[in-house]
Amino acid sequence: MLDNFLTGTATLFGDPFTIGIFIFGVIGGMLFGAIPGVSMLTLAAILLPFTADLSPSQGVMLFAVIYCTGTYGGAITAILFNIPGAPENAPTAFDGYPMTQKGMAGKAVGAAVLCSAVGGIASAIVMMSATEPLAQWAIMNIGPPEIFALVFFGLAVASSVGGRTIWKGWLSVLFGLLIATIGQDPVGGINRFNFGFSDLAAGIAFVPAILGFFAVSEIFVQAEKKVSGNYSAPKFSVDFPTFFELWSHKIAVVRSILVGFFCGILPGIGATLAAFMGYGEAVRWSKNKSEFGKGKLEGVISSETANNAATGAAMIPLLALGLPGGALTAMMVAVFQMHDLEPGPLVFYNSPDLIWVVFAGMFYANLSILFIGLLETKTILYLLKIPFQFLAPMILMLASIGAYISRGLVLDVIVMFAAGVIGFLLRRSGYSIPGIVLGLILGKIGEQNFAQGMQMVHYDLGTYFSRPICTILVIAGALTLLKSLHSAFFAKQVNS
Amino acid sequence: MGNLKNSDLVEVAFWLLIAAIFFSVSFNFNQPIEIYKFGATGWPRVILILIGLAALGNLYHSLKNGSKIQKGRVGASEAPDQVNYTSVVDYLKTAWILLIPLLYAISLKPVGFYFGTPFFISLVMLAWGERRVKFILLNTLLIYSLLIILFMFILNAPLPQGNVSPFYDFSAFMLKMKTQFDQLL
Repeated sequence: MLDNFLTGTATLFGDPFTIGIFIFGVIGGMLFGAIPGVSMLTLAAILLPFTADLSPSQGVMLFAVIYCTGTYGGAITAILFNIPGAPENAPTAFDGYPMTQKGMAGKAVGAAVLCSAVGGIASAIVMMSATEPLAQWAIMNIGPPEIFALVFFGLAVASSVGGRTIWKGWLSVLFGLLIATIGQDPVGGINRFNFGFSDLAAGIAFVPAILGFFAVSEIFVQAEKKVSGNYSAPKFSVDFPTFFELWSHKIAVVRSILVGFFCGILPGIGATLAAFMGYGEAVRWSKNKSEFGKGKLEGVISSETANNAATGAAMIPLLALGLPGGALTAMMVAVFQMHDLEPGPLVFYNSPDLIWVVFAGMFYANLSILFIGLLETKTILYLLKIPFQFLAPMILMLASIGAYISRGLVLDVIVMFAAGVIGFLLRRSGYSIPGIVLGLILGKIGEQNFAQGMQMVHYDLGTYFSRPICTILVIAGALTLLKSLHSAFFAKQVNS
Repeated sequence: MGNLKNSDLVEVAFWLLIAAIFFSVSFNFNQPIEIYKFGATGWPRVILILIGLAALGNLYHSLKNGSKIQKGRVGASEAPDQVNYTSVVDYLKTAWILLIPLLYAISLKPVGFYFGTPFFISLVMLAWGERRVKFILLNTLLIYSLLIILFMFILNAPLPQGNVSPFYDFSAFMLKMKTQFDQLL
């Protein structure tokens, strides 16, 4: 492993052009992750056509680096503006944004820097040592029935987070799943719910929907407060957490690394579930559960460690099975295809150089979060001083361009603003925006794998449940659901 | 009616209406798929039925507990993002905030990015409560210039040009300027 890593490092830093691409990926990922309204997905979408001119290893390495640093960068907007840069940063906002409102933005961002780096580096090391054996295990044991079971489990977890009631949590997830059914069905290619718009045949794209539900709806909420005189600018501080503050959360960090890595390795789910579960586990093990959601540092630490720990692991299903774990890893599939390559087990044998350049790139990208992240953070905190009247139209414009650029459709801009309006109204009523987005992302993967899985087991539930991983995950999901339903009907309620 | 409020009834009506509309539309693509028993409608219909059930569950919760937050909800805000409206003007202001971006998005196809954007930026600032004309004009110019430099000159991003004259002609003029600039370099 060490030899391969050193070879990858030498290839990465042996060519000035490759170094340039690496630095561009590190800074670009952080900046686009951290600028409200745009995200690493926007940058990746803009860059996708240009990767045709790069070598396959440079192209995939660039996207992998953007994935690592963008995942960290998205935490900054989640903390400062309540706008997660990506769905995996959504739980960071649960406690990060309340910390900003309390004037502890610096502490939250500082914790995000350190924990993202720690989680990412740990994940990169495990990824390098365990990828091949894990890939071989996954090839033998994970198929469409298991992926559907994973999606079911992921949605059951997502429904228990965010909404004011279990019903609102489920309605949010189901609404996301419904949006995901718009477009062609994954088996027969039949157009569904396109309401006469031919552009809708391709379905609702992730990027405009995510931008609309998170960024635009947040702008609308702030604008509403501003015109009604209830707006208060976020408080500003550069008070980073002390070493002892972080050391006191060492168990949360280790737990989140483990949760993040094992969630990240699950194909089709990746960092988003990792962040939710990392946060959920922190709440479950905490003695002061009621403090979560009100600005608790441990919430930011758990979520950010877990989502960066998932970035390395998320590369495993992509490289071993060709299954993307999210929107950005899906774009990596496109990079492979542009170079007439298919991600999958053969890449390990046909292009080992590519694999190790990517691994080395991800390791050093996580390392650079520690150094560049701290420097950049102080600059980004000054974003809070920009007047909202200036920032809001800028965010709306960047979001509009980001939504348009990914597919070149004006419809995507309309979808984004419509999602913003819907998100604004649903937020007012206590629904979960992360739940909607997770439903949207997992809906297509879930339906496709359900159909394939059912065909594989010849529609026989006995055969389906004879697969142990399916049984465990479906039971775990069903128990999560039953526990929520039990509390909905029988548990005491607290006042709002 | 217990703890039920009008807004709770509106919510449940909204979800049931969505479920009913989508369910009826699903008959338009209710074709069998030879290799798949459940066809194109199976999955979406299950989702729609679950939406209906969850909406009724939500109604039950509101009937029993009003707007109280359910115990143990992770990440749920105890006070959702709400502002209390005192007059019709407040509603109109919010409607205006929501409508401007939608109108801009709809106008992108005929009008294009290059012509429509400065007006959109100014209107957003106006709707957000900004009344200083100089501030609006200067910031519009600054934001528009930044966007043009970043996306048109540096990233070469293809942006909507519009398809109606004179808006299309304006976009063509901007692109011609960009080509001339590229030739200078």
